[in-house]
Amino acid sequence: MSGVYAQLNSALSGMIGSVLRSVVQVRDGSRGAGAGTIWHRDGLIITNAHVAANRVLQVALPDGRVLDATVIARDEARDLAALSIGARDLPTIPLGSARTLQAGQWVMALGHPWGVTNAATGGVLIGVGSNLPDIDLARRDWVVADLHLRPGNSGGPMIDVNGRLIGVNTLMTGPGVGVAVSVDTAKDFLRETLGATTTDSVIDSAGYV
Amino acid sequence: MSVLHDLSNDLASAVKTASASLVRVEARRRMSASGIVWSADGLILTSNHGVERDDNLRVGLPDGSVVDATLVGRDPTTDVAVLRVAGTLTPATWVETADVQVGHLVLALGRPEGDVQATLGVVSAVSGEWRTMAGGRVDVYLQTDVVMYPGFSGGALIGADGAMLGMNSSSLARGVSLTLPTVTLKRVVATLATHGRVKRGYLGVSAQPVRLPAALETQLGQESGLMLTAVESGSPAETSGLHLGDTLYHIAGQPVRQMDDLMAVLSGDRVGQSVPARVLRGGQSIDVSITIGERN
Repeated sequence: MSGVYAQLNSALSGMIGSVLRSVVQVRDGSRGAGAGTIWHRDGLIITNAHVAANRVLQVALPDGRVLDATVIARDEARDLAALSIGARDLPTIPLGSARTLQAGQWVMALGHPWGVTNAATGGVLIGVGSNLPDIDLARRDWVVADLHLRPGNSGGPMIDVNGRLIGVNTLMTGPGVGVAVSVDTAKDFLRETLGATTTDSVIDSAGYV
Repeated sequence: MSVLHDLSNDLASAVKTASASLVRVEARRRMSASGIVWSADGLILTSNHGVERDDNLRVGLPDGSVVDATLVGRDPTTDVAVLRVAGTLTPATWVETADVQVGHLVLALGRPEGDVQATLGVVSAVSGEWRTMAGGRVDVYLQTDVVMYPGFSGGALIGADGAMLGMNSSSLARGVSLTLPTVTLKRVVATLATHGRVKRGYLGVSAQPVRLPAALETQLGQESGLMLTAVESGSPAETSGLHLGDTLYHIAGQPVRQMDDLMAVLSGDRVGQSVPARVLRGGQSIDVSITIGERN
């Protein structure tokens, strides 16, 4: 035994514990709930458009608070939505990039599959981009990994081994294949929809970590 | 690259350690299931749903030999069965799940055929006590994203050192991989080895959740109760005076909102006891005393 297995376990659970501080539950008051990720410390949450389909939403924070949320931007084509909640000084997730990822790298997805809160799944990156088999070519910048997304994972973070956001979990295309909208697409979405009213420091909020 | 090499070797080494206690269980028509050697004197742990018959059971041992086995007992509520074979075996090393954290790498092992098969995954969720759909009490909720291939039920979830964290079963929930933790296995096996079965309470009713009248809902802060849709003749429920159409909403000091709440009360240690209950009958709340029977 080299001990590397035990070291990996310790590193993985430590990294996930840190990221989970930025993972929220998005509730639409009816069936089920999705996930979301704290993008900016003053209450900006990124999630899927299909998780934020209702006008009335609530966000459950890791500290136990449940707050009303406002949908401030929503784009069904990219399956992204930005929510605002009335809270400040929240722990944000550090931002990575999907463009530097390579097939075979270890990635993980967090969320609340079937309502089990703060659950993790992991696997290797299958690929990034639009020329992947069986993926709608009209939508680019997918992050595809061999992990297990389930209802309730939607809107939660897909992360690299450093705990940085690389994508927003959006769907499963088959057993053991999970797809996320890349974090770069999420940045573009926020810049386009909030750009007029906010600054780049909000969009590139990694500096706040 | 050396770290990957080390990891691969560590994984293989953990599998090898555990394989010495992993067996094949031939006890159903189509595909064999897996089992784990519980004690050196021949107790074998496996999943109840993989043991479809009570006799003509066989166990494939790690050395390749196949031996006859007898059924010691089974607990359908936790999906545990215990078999016995003759001979001296290598028992598994068990560890508690207290140190298991979300994100840890784990392996699921099975022996559906001659050799041990393994899949790798991460611990998805760890939390407290829960009840299976059949009403069995499980001390720790342990969910992983390991892929359970056919015949993996009754096999082991192992950690870095090859010690067993629990027994996998694909029948406890649909769509997710759940593991029965060591602490639950110890309790259930001890009962099965002594009594051959796990005692369960019994009322003899079918029921479905219904909404309580608005006034009662406001008074209790409880939305639903269980309406009895059948009361078995001669059952503990009938003997205790329960009627078809009664809505049971409180028993043994606990609110009854849905089936799970009732199952939780019908534990083995309550067999023979009388517990107070409240039912709604013809719009009136009445108190009854229910003597809990034993499920055969």
